[in-house]
Amino acid sequence: MKTDLKTNLKSIWARAYVRIVGANREPSWILSETVLPLLNTAAFVYVYKALRAPEEYIGFVILGGAMTAYWMNVLWSMASQFYWEKEMGNLELYLIAPISRMSILLGMAIGGIFYATLRAVVVFVFGSLIFRVNFFISGVVELFLIFILTMIALYGMGMFFASLFMLWGREAWHTSNLFQEPIYLLGGFFFPVKTLGYTVAMFASAIPISLGLDGMRQLCFKTGKTLGFLDVKIEILLLLGLSIFYIWISHYALLFMENLGKKQGRLTLKWQ
Amino acid sequence: MNQNFSTHTKTLKLASWLGWKMESNWADWWIFAVYSVVRPLASSMILVVMYWVIAKSGNAQASGSYNLTFMYLGNAFFMFVGNVLYGVAWTIHEDREHYQMLKYIFISPAKMYFYLFGRGTAKLFITVFAVIATIAFGMLVLKIPIDLSAVNYPMLVLVTGIGLLGIAALGVILAAVSMVTAHHSFYLTEGVAGLFFLVSGAIFPIEVLPGWLQKISLINPLTYWIELARRYITGEKMCQVLSSISNLELFFILTLSTLILVYLSVIIYRFFEHLAVQRGLIDRLTNF
Amino acid sequence: MNHAIETLKLNRTFKIKKAKDKPAPSFITALEEVNLTINKGELFGLLGPNGAGKTTLIKILCTLLLPTSGTALVDGVDVVKNPALVRRRINMVSGGEHSGYGILNVRENLWMFSQFYGVPKKIAYERIDTLLKLFGLDEFAKTRIGKLSTGMRQKMNVIRGFVSDPEILFFDEPTLGLDVQIAREVRKYIANWVKNNSQKTVLLTTHYMAEADELCDRIAIIDHGKVIACDSPSNLKKLLRKETIVHIEINLTDENFEHFSQLPGVKKFALEHKHNIGRTELKFILENDSAISQVTQALSSNGSKIISLSKTDPSLEDVFVALVGRSLESEN
Ligand SMILES: Nc1ncnc2c1ncn2[C@@H]1O[C@H](COP(=O)(O)OP(=O)(O)OP(=O)(O)O)[C@@H](O)[C@H]1O
Ligand SMILES: [Mg+2]
Repeated sequence: MKTDLKTNLKSIWARAYVRIVGANREPSWILSETVLPLLNTAAFVYVYKALRAPEEYIGFVILGGAMTAYWMNVLWSMASQFYWEKEMGNLELYLIAPISRMSILLGMAIGGIFYATLRAVVVFVFGSLIFRVNFFISGVVELFLIFILTMIALYGMGMFFASLFMLWGREAWHTSNLFQEPIYLLGGFFFPVKTLGYTVAMFASAIPISLGLDGMRQLCFKTGKTLGFLDVKIEILLLLGLSIFYIWISHYALLFMENLGKKQGRLTLKWQ
Repeated sequence: MNQNFSTHTKTLKLASWLGWKMESNWADWWIFAVYSVVRPLASSMILVVMYWVIAKSGNAQASGSYNLTFMYLGNAFFMFVGNVLYGVAWTIHEDREHYQMLKYIFISPAKMYFYLFGRGTAKLFITVFAVIATIAFGMLVLKIPIDLSAVNYPMLVLVTGIGLLGIAALGVILAAVSMVTAHHSFYLTEGVAGLFFLVSGAIFPIEVLPGWLQKISLINPLTYWIELARRYITGEKMCQVLSSISNLELFFILTLSTLILVYLSVIIYRFFEHLAVQRGLIDRLTNF
Repeated sequence: MNHAIETLKLNRTFKIKKAKDKPAPSFITALEEVNLTINKGELFGLLGPNGAGKTTLIKILCTLLLPTSGTALVDGVDVVKNPALVRRRINMVSGGEHSGYGILNVRENLWMFSQFYGVPKKIAYERIDTLLKLFGLDEFAKTRIGKLSTGMRQKMNVIRGFVSDPEILFFDEPTLGLDVQIAREVRKYIANWVKNNSQKTVLLTTHYMAEADELCDRIAIIDHGKVIACDSPSNLKKLLRKETIVHIEINLTDENFEHFSQLPGVKKFALEHKHNIGRTELKFILENDSAISQVTQALSSNGSKIISLSKTDPSLEDVFVALVGRSLESEN
């Protein structure tokens, strides 16, 4: 049992190492990961400016724009990464190793969070400076808690998606494409999720980032509370629930899909 | 020369066929749903909700002639940029690392340059449908006011075509850069599309930008393209900054800048191709 | 004591996605009633033509694929019921695989894979460095794997298999695409590893006769998913000790010679077109020497020009011909 844990920890580090070292050796991502997302976020800021929206909306967009980094990371560098791994022939080597598939995913995530955080920080810091966002932090502990829980739930959801990508071929690619924008919409990256109406917002709360963003906005801006969806305490509880749920379900989904793949002989099939 | 020409047209045809096969090898309706309905509608809805939330709060004293139609049409046309740019530029990475056949195309007599254009056409067709679907959805469901009888169809088609040529040329430039960058150049395409989104006046009038960004917008051919497309659809001048320029003048600017872009794409492509061959990057794998 | 590997009535069928113009999906039988027992310390070979089911069997034993029916035990552990336990005992290397990350160098890639088996860092690096030296790859230790030649790459893959020091190591065509020299080094290392560790087992697949003959303690010949013979190479060859084996080369021809199998004294025969040298090779398993003249007469009356004729000792290839009536190396 103890050696099991050790092996899994070693695997997490080994897989994360690839990404961290990779980032150093192929620095071409720096520009595309920092400056360009900032420009993208700015476009949405200017929409609010053109609409002469109240000032805090600018801050909402900056925060949302920063958080897109994590969503992109989960979607493209973790969930669909299993598909790339399959194509490259690494997936089968992971599967025959005596470790949990979640360790591999966690390794990818930790390596990827490194990039995503840089992207998020650049968008957040420079966005706030350029557009002179006024912050009014009303709870540091809660803010920290919400952020951490959002990350856990989000990456848990990523693991759940990864289980689908284990079997899919190119359709996985299209599925990632399918998810990207609708989640920008439902996650409320560029407007308060409350705007979607109570029912839709409730439904959208299954995406950890919508509650996370909503909570963070409430805690970061003066008028945040009035534009918020649920009480922050409730949001924290819900996020806790989502974290547990996604990790639990992804554990079973990974097992299920692996077994299905083994049954149908699709686990190692390439070039679909 | 003639021989060359027929090789090029054949390359174009083959590449578009290939592109189509790759896009649709799963189940056609699904691909169609993703690229023509779900993605475009979701991205339009983000803007519409942003508009609504401000309009509802009673703060909607938008600047100038800026309104939902402006934003909606601009966003719809901008889909061409995202998709075609991506369709062309991503080819390098996809063929190099996913299908691992870039080297074979490279050594064939087919010119990569034309091959890249061809691969973009599949995305183009899907996007045409997407744009039409988005506008239809906007009119029917969101009740966005667009008068179909006011549309100048022949000019709209012509202008769209010229703009697309320019976008494809931009895609080739990005593809050229991708030949020497790693897997993550995927974000490059995304980011460049984001840059153009900011400085093309697609979803907001360029007058809200600070002066220097306005100047950049004015050297961006896409600014003129989107404004022209909007004018031919609504029959009205939409962008304040460009309101003193007539349709004909805009058309001239667009055509000239597109030609320059195409010329640039040839030169830049050649440069990076040379670099890639020199450094032996044609068949490398960079995913990690 | 457990056997290293034991399969009991192992079956695997694949459902082929139904094509648009066909009403029902079709099935391919990749393995049919496979019973094999492999002892610890054995170097066991699976020999068979393309599509015989070799890779399928390896995948099942490596927990990558479920059997349709039957049982498979690895070191006494059921691969279906307890895959996690099986995984601690095994590793696998396939020919031509492209595992690892281009961004890492050889040593780092090997280290990464060793970590998935929990090998302590120091031991991992010791093993890696020793193996790299042994395979003559030490000067490429710091080279990114994208820059390796196919041969070096495959050496690295083979090293990857040994780095986790498994009890049972599976090789799926380990020498695929390697030149004679490197293939020999790889084979030598595999053979020594088994010889020097009495409890370690290797199961390898190949369709190179000579490889199987030279390397393996025992061989299972497998064709269309069925094990048609299983014994040591010398015993397998002894199956043909009474027969006469004749190889005849004639001018390249498209004729199928089917009626030759009806000739008196011909037990089995196979033909192989050697396009590169413009010849067709016929391999006859004859009842005795007197049948040779029957064959040559029939050939000349057929208008074929005999270029060479030799009577040989049986090889594994001849055993395959005798059992299946096909040449292993022929195109179909
Ligand atoms: N995932 C799969 N789906 C469908 N059919 C499969 C699958 N894997 C293998 N097959 C089929 O099963 C049969 C046996 O394949 P297998 O790969 O085991 O052969 P092999 O002996 O390893 O051949 P080779 O020498 O070419 O590697 C073949 O007919 C193959 O087409
Ligand atoms: Mg095989």
